[in-house]
Amino acid sequence: MKFNLIDQIEQLTDQRIVAVKTVTLAEEYLADHFPTFPVLPGVMMLEAITQAAGWLMHHRTQFGKSMAVLKEAKNVKYGHFVAPGNELRVEVDYIKDTDGGASFKAVGFVEGQTALQARIELSYFNLADKQPALAHLDAKLAEHTKYRWAVLQQGSVTI
Amino acid sequence: MAALVTNHWQLIPMRWIWIDKFTEFTPKTSATAVKNVSLAEEHLHDLFPAFPIVPHSLIVEGMAQTAGILVGEARNFAEKVILAKIGKATFHRLVRPGDTITFSAKIDQLSEQGASITGTVTVTDNGAVAPVADIELMFSHIDQNMAGLRFPAHNFVFTEQFTDLLKTYRLSSAVPL
Amino acid sequence: MAMTRDEVYKKVQGVLVDALGVDEEEVTPTATLREDLGAESIDFLDIVFRLEKAFGIKIPRGEMFPEDLFTNAQYVQNGRITPEGLVEMKKRMPHVDFSELEKDPDINKMQFTVDTVVNYIESKVNA
Repeated sequence: MKFNLIDQIEQLTDQRIVAVKTVTLAEEYLADHFPTFPVLPGVMMLEAITQAAGWLMHHRTQFGKSMAVLKEAKNVKYGHFVAPGNELRVEVDYIKDTDGGASFKAVGFVEGQTALQARIELSYFNLADKQPALAHLDAKLAEHTKYRWAVLQQGSVTI
Repeated sequence: MAALVTNHWQLIPMRWIWIDKFTEFTPKTSATAVKNVSLAEEHLHDLFPAFPIVPHSLIVEGMAQTAGILVGEARNFAEKVILAKIGKATFHRLVRPGDTITFSAKIDQLSEQGASITGTVTVTDNGAVAPVADIELMFSHIDQNMAGLRFPAHNFVFTEQFTDLLKTYRLSSAVPL
Repeated sequence: MAMTRDEVYKKVQGVLVDALGVDEEEVTPTATLREDLGAESIDFLDIVFRLEKAFGIKIPRGEMFPEDLFTNAQYVQNGRITPEGLVEMKKRMPHVDFSELEKDPDINKMQFTVDTVVNYIESKVNA
């Protein structure tokens, strides 16, 4: 399994990101979640929201820090299942900066229904901020993030 | 359809299991499970390849599986126990390859409709227990509870993989040293 | 142990803040759980669990939020509460204010408010 949980970005401003995770039977873990009833695991919906918020942070700070991780999730409630062939559209709104990151409010939709709602806080930092000995890794991490960002850019070409 | 499911398990290894074994299981009360973290796990290399960490959503899943089996066993795996709400999940420390994660879950409330659990996640650091996360979850027994959602009648949640974890724990705790 | 309405209200407010992730200021007596405070079905179970713990009481299924009544074809037809429905609901839900519903028995007007919860808890702890 590749742990990239955002497939496409539809809208991006300093305050908000709208992004999509498509769900396909080609994702092998679906065979186990659940057998005869494949649906996107709830924690993967949470991961999609976390990654979308991460992109919003990178956009706001021009890739200011190398690590974006979930610091806290609150009142995450699941509504509808997301099945293969459907897409989860997440709308993440920036709320405010926190000590070490930022907080966000998010809603995920599937076929017009609410799949989940969540409030999250991200920790956004450079390894150098936490352990000077790890400082040399930040540049590599940032480069990888920018590569993943480039892969997410829109559009196709005719051949 | 049932025959298909049985054959499936014989051929394809489980890919959505985020705990390795139980180290404690007190029915209807508490359970502790552990998971080893290895560079051999492919997904660890996708987001932060220069500094691989266990994604926090998968730490939540490890807790959900530990607690889900505890809640499921409390009613003999008759209910479809589905993660319905994460009240709160707070993270204190990043988890790295080489770590062993310990998930400890306690049932707070259990009813016909569902359950609420609290859990702590830890690793050891130089022999000392280091906190990784505090997690509060709610499960719904969806046969009793989620009108308007469509899902199969049979219990697709508790497959052999999960019930085997419990069997292994019970067998090994019965073998004298 | 007997509690004043104010004591019950303060504790209920705390439970709703924790369960629903809303601010204390939003939890007013007439605030509706679903529309104003954003409660979903799993939240109703969360609220029941937390109230049981906070007040040391048992809330039997369907006693505070009797959902079975709302899907009963005898009591609700085409989105309207039938006269028998009104009688049964008033019996099962003494903690709900039926004055608006008596004028217009539209099932969508059936709303659980913070006051509804406080009424129910008050009757349980002061029984």
